[in-house]
Amino acid sequence: MSSGTNGANPAPAADSAGASGEPGMGPEMGPGMGPEVGTASLAVEDLVAGYGEVIALDGVTVTAGAGGITAVLGANGAGKTTLLRAVSGLIKTRRGRVLLAGHDVAGRGPEQIVRAGIAHVPEGQGVIPELTVEENLRVGMMSWRRGQRADRAAALEEEYARFKPLADRRRKLASTLSGGERQMLVIARALLARPRVLLLDEPSLGLAPRVMAQVMDLVVRLSRERGLTIVLVEQNARSALAIADHGVVLNLGRVVASADAATLAADVALRHHYLGF
Amino acid sequence: MVEFLQFTLDGIVFGMIYAAIALSLVLIWRGTRLLNFAQGGMAMLTTYIAIEVIYKTHSYWAGFVVALVAGLVLGAASELTVVRPTTGKPELNAVIVTIGLLIFFEGLAGMLFGGQFRSFPTGFSVTGLKVGGTALGISRFDVFTVAAVLLTTLILAVVFRYTTAGLRMRAAAFNATIARLSGIRVARVLTVGWALAGLLGALAGVLVSPSTFLYPNSMDAIFVLGFTAAVIGGLDSPVGAVVGGLLLGLTLSYVSGYVGGSVGSEITSLVALGILVLVLMVRPDGLFAGARMRRV
Repeated sequence: MSSGTNGANPAPAADSAGASGEPGMGPEMGPGMGPEVGTASLAVEDLVAGYGEVIALDGVTVTAGAGGITAVLGANGAGKTTLLRAVSGLIKTRRGRVLLAGHDVAGRGPEQIVRAGIAHVPEGQGVIPELTVEENLRVGMMSWRRGQRADRAAALEEEYARFKPLADRRRKLASTLSGGERQMLVIARALLARPRVLLLDEPSLGLAPRVMAQVMDLVVRLSRERGLTIVLVEQNARSALAIADHGVVLNLGRVVASADAATLAADVALRHHYLGF
Repeated sequence: MVEFLQFTLDGIVFGMIYAAIALSLVLIWRGTRLLNFAQGGMAMLTTYIAIEVIYKTHSYWAGFVVALVAGLVLGAASELTVVRPTTGKPELNAVIVTIGLLIFFEGLAGMLFGGQFRSFPTGFSVTGLKVGGTALGISRFDVFTVAAVLLTTLILAVVFRYTTAGLRMRAAAFNATIARLSGIRVARVLTVGWALAGLLGALAGVLVSPSTFLYPNSMDAIFVLGFTAAVIGGLDSPVGAVVGGLLLGLTLSYVSGYVGGSVGSEITSLVALGILVLVLMVRPDGLFAGARMRRV
């Protein structure tokens, strides 16, 4: 079952930006607030992972350039969510490497991987409704080393400045937030972990079109202004490709296409077959 | 009227002990959805440790403190050695492991300390307090019992609500996946939860044993009542555990008091069962379900 045909993984990330942390994308990187924590590429090589007997990822190789947006697309059950869960350590990888700026983090637990610099926003209910907005955000800083009380307060204020609606509701239970605000909250919480790579699983799920546009806009700004490397899993391929630099299409746990976003969006057959638009 | 007051105070005292056991069950349930059947056994064992220390040192307080520390250690050790390996396995495995632990603890106590009933001392006088010329029907030790459980509960509540460590524990209990993704070492948090549960159980054991005698099975009945209190409160809610404990303590005290005689004390378990069934019929998730971690 899991015994691979494509033996081992001899090629060490041909096109990964490596430890140099060079922004791979966008010469027009805006001035913005500048990257706070540096950028890093993410390269997944020949990854095999699954649940019990089921192999959900069967030798997947994906490279997310530093500072860019990589869209991961495909039908339900293609392995998109599993890919993110394997990268962030929520499920064990059975083979392959997960290179963060050239360092292999595969096999570590999520507690360590978030400290290495990969933050994962899982799909659906990522807020903890029983906690207040501010408590949810403070959870995002649990990976910090102890002390730094002033730094924590400053980091919180920074996110409140970015997400005004959250600032107004900081003492309210997260269960009182609207869908869009919840999405803001989980993204803000992930940002508070000071990641270099952000994994977003269906951030537009269940949002009204206008709110969804705002979320997509936010994703673009995070990439451009902070130099965050973003891996965006989306059911809505059209809007994901509209903001992505690069796209990867999964089908039944394998990569069936990988190209820059414009090329994928222009490929009528591919769109028809796998992307549904 | 005096009678009513007496039953009420008595009910509060026993209610607080049930609350302590209920709270210890809630601490573990919230983190892992596991009912720790060994809770009473752990409390019994730490109370034996206390009695041995008291005999050796002639100091009640030395025994009291050692029991609490032993509770912490026993809780953490149980989690690390036999409960941890059941992670990711079917839920029933963990349940059976805690039942096994209970049998182990009770067997161990029988081997080490013998099966005979032993009386357990109190830290304070047990002569009844009086207001004016009226006996209240409670002693200094009863007051201490209520104060100790209330204080422990209050400290836990403050820690849970206002400290980073408390937030870590709440986050891990509410959503382990998000907690882990945020860098919280959930496994470690669970160990701490078991340690705190062990401490609460030890406290309950030391407080209740003067009125029940101590023997290897002595905590079984208290465990059942503590469990009933926890379920009344919703198993998820620390506030519910305390309210459930008080409710149960008061009801049982009124019943055994007003019915009187040997019948009164014998129908208490039946009444406890009745309350449990009633609550589960009216509010299947317990009285405090959906209101977990209310402001305290």
